[in-house]
Amino acid sequence: MKCRKIEKFILRSFDNRLNREEKDMLTFHLKNCPKCQTLYHEYQELLISLRSSTDDFPEFKPYFWERLQPRLKEQKQYDPWQLWKTWGLRAIPLSILMIILLVSASLFILPPPSEDLSDSGILLRDQNPFQESLPLLAEEVENPNMMLIFTALEEKNGARRYSP
Amino acid sequence: MKEKDLVHKAQSGSEEAFAALVKKYRIKMFNLAYSLTHSQEAADDLAQDIFIKAYISLPKFQHKSEFGTWLYRIGVNTIKDHLRKESRAKIIPYDENLAGHAPQVDELAQREKEQEDTDRKQALYAAIRSLPEKYRIILTLRDIQGYPYGEIVKILKISPGTVDSRLHRARKMLRKKWAASKPPLLRRQA
Repeated sequence: MKCRKIEKFILRSFDNRLNREEKDMLTFHLKNCPKCQTLYHEYQELLISLRSSTDDFPEFKPYFWERLQPRLKEQKQYDPWQLWKTWGLRAIPLSILMIILLVSASLFILPPPSEDLSDSGILLRDQNPFQESLPLLAEEVENPNMMLIFTALEEKNGARRYSP
Repeated sequence: MKEKDLVHKAQSGSEEAFAALVKKYRIKMFNLAYSLTHSQEAADDLAQDIFIKAYISLPKFQHKSEFGTWLYRIGVNTIKDHLRKESRAKIIPYDENLAGHAPQVDELAQREKEQEDTDRKQALYAAIRSLPEKYRIILTLRDIQGYPYGEIVKILKISPGTVDSRLHRARKMLRKKWAASKPPLLRRQA
């Protein structure tokens, strides 16, 4: 097995992440490879040093909570989430209720929409669009003066008429 | 009282419950910050900042993960921000002789074991500091803080495969840098 792969096994062995077969392979290789043995010891030393490094960490300064508390209070005063939680969440159902009330009020108070008198609207309702003018058309023109006017007009325009 | 109950109480505004949570995690947060900054002042400030951020975000915590994991996530992000700001302010080049300041062999032989240990640790810290941020963080969580793999996956929100490969690379890089920065006598002993 290549030493490069063994390096992976070495590192995994420190985390107990090798199966039985891999462990045996690592042990066998380490017995026969002095280079990897050195590598193993170097990693071992490194990890021990890292894990024991917290022993030398300094202690945090005293009165941690006493120093933190006023800063938290400051945050509490200007915390936008708290403001939203207190007022915003209550405002949601109230505003929904207001919208429902306004919509229902507008349905009852406002006048119904004017009747559609356009041709298309009338046709859709299956009505005759000339219904209103029908009585007028049914009437016979009996006024003699009007008849004279029409006759005169016919004569005037006679020359322009097309006569096949 | 159980941690979950404390968190619920703190979420409903109990200062005592939050104080208990701070008491439980303050050392862990300080150590996390210290292992990444190696400055007591900065670590103390960062630990305070972490708890303030946690306090602000606490109402949004939905108990999908452990409180500790959630707090660590806030901690890691806060420290990351700090490190970025710091690196923008000043870039410290990696100096192989920084830690051990390369003492002479005969001088070192006269020193006591304590001094040797200090030098080795300083060399180790210098080597850690010289690593890229993502490797420094994963090493801190796994090899210094001793967090299990599963927790690291949740804290950093990365896949187990990424944790594995990143940790492998980080250890490899650290070993090389540490070996290079060791004083000559120690290098020979190793």
